[in-house]
Amino acid sequence: MCGIIGCIGRGDRTVETLVHGLEKLEYRGYDSAGIGVVGDGLSVSKTAGEIEALSQKLSEQSLAGTVGIGHTRWSTHGPPTDENAHPHQDCTGRVAVVHNGIIENYQELREELSAAGHRFSSDTDTEVVPHLIEDALDAGAQPEAAFRSAIDRIDGSYAIGALIEGTEALFAARNDSPLVIGLGLDADGDGSAEMTGDGPHFIASDVPAFRDYTARVIYLDDGEFARLDGGVSVTDSDGLPVEKSVETITWDAEETGKSGYDHYMLKEIHEQPRALRQCLSGRIDELGGAVDIEAVGDLSPSGVQFVACGTSYHAGLYAAQLFNQAGIPAQAFLASEYASSPPPVEDDLVVGITQSGETADTLSALREAANRGAETLAVTNTVGSTAARECDHALYIRSGPEIGVAATKTFAGQLAAVNLLSLATVEGGQTRRDVVPALRDLPGDIQHILDSSAASEVAEIYADSNAYFFIGRRYQFPVALEGALKLKEISYEHAEGFAAGELKHGPLALVTPNTPVFAIAIGDDDAARKTVGNIKEVEARGAPVVAVTDGRNDAAMYADYVLEVPETHPRAAALLANVQLQLLAYHIANDLGRPIDKPRNLAKSVTVE
Amino acid sequence: MSVRTAVVLAAGEGTRLRPLTHNRPKPMLVAANRPILEHVLDALVEAGIERLVLVVGYRRTRVQDHFGSSYRGVEIEYVVQHKQLGSGHALLQAADTVSEPMLVVNGDRLIEASSVSEVMTAFDDGSAAATMAVIEHANTSRYGVVSLDGTTVTEIIEKPETDEFRLINAGIYAFDETIFETISETPRRSGELALTDTISKLIDERAVRGCRIDGLWVDATYPWDLLSVASEVLERGRASERERSDGIWIDDDARVHEDATIRPPVAVGSNCEIGPGSVVGPNVALAANTTVGANVTLERSVVDADSRIGHASTLVDAVLGQDVHLGVGTVIPGGPGDVRIDREIHEDQPLGAVLADRVRVGGNVSFEPGTLVGTEAEIGGSCHVRDRIPEGAEVVR
Repeated sequence: MCGIIGCIGRGDRTVETLVHGLEKLEYRGYDSAGIGVVGDGLSVSKTAGEIEALSQKLSEQSLAGTVGIGHTRWSTHGPPTDENAHPHQDCTGRVAVVHNGIIENYQELREELSAAGHRFSSDTDTEVVPHLIEDALDAGAQPEAAFRSAIDRIDGSYAIGALIEGTEALFAARNDSPLVIGLGLDADGDGSAEMTGDGPHFIASDVPAFRDYTARVIYLDDGEFARLDGGVSVTDSDGLPVEKSVETITWDAEETGKSGYDHYMLKEIHEQPRALRQCLSGRIDELGGAVDIEAVGDLSPSGVQFVACGTSYHAGLYAAQLFNQAGIPAQAFLASEYASSPPPVEDDLVVGITQSGETADTLSALREAANRGAETLAVTNTVGSTAARECDHALYIRSGPEIGVAATKTFAGQLAAVNLLSLATVEGGQTRRDVVPALRDLPGDIQHILDSSAASEVAEIYADSNAYFFIGRRYQFPVALEGALKLKEISYEHAEGFAAGELKHGPLALVTPNTPVFAIAIGDDDAARKTVGNIKEVEARGAPVVAVTDGRNDAAMYADYVLEVPETHPRAAALLANVQLQLLAYHIANDLGRPIDKPRNLAKSVTVE
Repeated sequence: MSVRTAVVLAAGEGTRLRPLTHNRPKPMLVAANRPILEHVLDALVEAGIERLVLVVGYRRTRVQDHFGSSYRGVEIEYVVQHKQLGSGHALLQAADTVSEPMLVVNGDRLIEASSVSEVMTAFDDGSAAATMAVIEHANTSRYGVVSLDGTTVTEIIEKPETDEFRLINAGIYAFDETIFETISETPRRSGELALTDTISKLIDERAVRGCRIDGLWVDATYPWDLLSVASEVLERGRASERERSDGIWIDDDARVHEDATIRPPVAVGSNCEIGPGSVVGPNVALAANTTVGANVTLERSVVDADSRIGHASTLVDAVLGQDVHLGVGTVIPGGPGDVRIDREIHEDQPLGAVLADRVRVGGNVSFEPGTLVGTEAEIGGSCHVRDRIPEGAEVVR
């Protein structure tokens, strides 16, 4: 994880621009932060703690310069301390480096450099880079050549930004970690604003860091280098110039503000009707019962493997059910396990589900599948992301930027998108005529829940419980898992999700009068009746039951409280039940006073394995 | 000093517009597929306002969800009025946020940029403590009326019983930052602080300038007013969708069957579907993601987002809220009809029926003119419905 930012051409607003960028990247990590600038000399300021701690420090220590880099950290090597915060420097303080990723051969490089007399001041893998640059400079290399030779020595994943004293330039390199370049001051992206050859230009782990200044971006590819001075030049690993296309971002910087909410998470929960309208827009035809998606229209897989992590994995479990129902064998895998122990792929389509498109575990699973000859598809929210570019096909969920670390609207977008995927590729006309109207009703149905949910009252009643269990069957099983994950992530309370039928095979032993059970019971089919049976098992053990139900079964009769969802197709109802559980998790965490947008130990896009 | 900040009052429910305001404040009711408030913000942005402060309260998330953190590149800040205790109290909530001269407007009335500019210019020119827009209006009894001596306001009276006045308070004001202090010093009446009471105080103690405007000024007081508001917006070409031909605006993502007939003026929002054989218009606005089945007739009606209109339905003078589902063969034959609002009967109003958010209607149901149906009411097949159906009621034949 970690977020990096760099800028050149911002004059005396350099420090301000860097800090602003770090604030926008804080979702990538927030246990320490720092910046470095080159002006008359090279100066660095860094500290353990959130960006606010850095701002405080900067108000006491003035940094001047016109080229700068910044970093916000999520610890992988070494605890969050002042020393381990980036930027890291060489022995003489001539070089400053920020890095996102993991340098796999850092131990041997460190030993080699130490033996040659270099002194290390941190526990990080990153620190070898400035010392390698120092070595090359001492050997007489020009700054850019010194930077390249250092990068040549390291293995692993990295997005790196570097400054060298006396050089009015910013050096960057990327391998397996995201890095984007922003061009000029052109926030509208229409080329009408200031677009001089002199910049300013930016680098960042993610677009929001500089979206307030420009909408025009270049996505750096693995193995490429960039030099930002008056202009921007991109070269490959051999130093040959690469022609890069300039792309224009279509969302506004303001979409990443809190819009009067206390937390991004609640704002993003409320954005779900809009996010789903965007996801479905132009892709479905209710009167014609049709689904039309260019990106996947020609696929007709004979088997599907979904690879994903965390919340996206739950979307994968749900997606696998859709394909299995349609008679196409499908399975969901945890990406980290898939990469280490891949199953045979044969003619299967391998689908990676990743919000950011940069999740390292998912990327390695997809690469593993591609190496074995599988056709790959990325289901992602991020245009231009690594997953989108590396896979054979990309299906965008169009949820808009998500800042809250706990995924909400993008899970809804993933579920809607995998419905579109199965409808467009393998499902028949009757299923389409049943499901398309239900998908089209989703924005209105979710608005209904947002207008009337009792989740905050239920949260208040149970905020002081020992543990929380979530049960569901069929399409509602992944939602039970997701409900538990959401609650864990932001409330720090113990929560587990189970397949409803599995409860009696063990977990029932955990159930007590102080462990509320949230049961999702949708419709009046066999699955719903069996879930109601499981609710009775729980109720008989004295546990409080909260039913998430559309009222078409008896769940409410055995429940202490009910969270209602509108009646719809059970596939669509999974998204609705999930909204109730999102609100529940939010309100429990809020009642407990948790820092909802920045849960401890977590970061949004996990770009390390 | 020129005014750059606008405070928009958008916290009120608009009780006379119930049941349409059950889930949203009055400024979020739609005027030809866009919230009234969005038209207000258009006027402010076009007049050069650089900072928007929205006072929100009742069902405030609806405002926040729609506008987010900025509108047309202008930053929006939200301040919350937790209890709706009058327009003066609403403005007072912005005291900690605004410390410069400001424009203040009601978020629930359609206004034009030119009117806003005129008030700003008049405020800049004058030395008055406050400037307010006044406009001639036929129906003065619903509003605050204003007497002018030249450009000086001499009197402001809320909802007068006589009809000798011609000018009403148009709800656009410019104040300097001392207004907050003046509001605080204004005595409350039955616990509420009305902005007009503070203006009366300013008239007595200092001076208030009146600025006559004559641009578009439309207010929705009762549910049927939403029909004329939509017509007004369409007539002035203020629809936001792409204009396909004269008076026909259809979003690029909408699907209109080639055998459907569209009679202008009509606005069709994003991802709407209109089936074969349907005749839509004149004076119809369909908000995003609505479906009009086959062989439907729609005339002088407004339909909010996510609604579904079954095949072979006929709707005239109908106001539909969000996510209303009508079965096959629904008939709303149109006004005039008598409408009961609170204890008052409004006779011969041009209203077919109002169906609030999430009403479900079975097949072959007909509505008598002037019917109001509350949110989430369910009406079974083949019913004939009249008068008022309360929220959540279930109607069976």
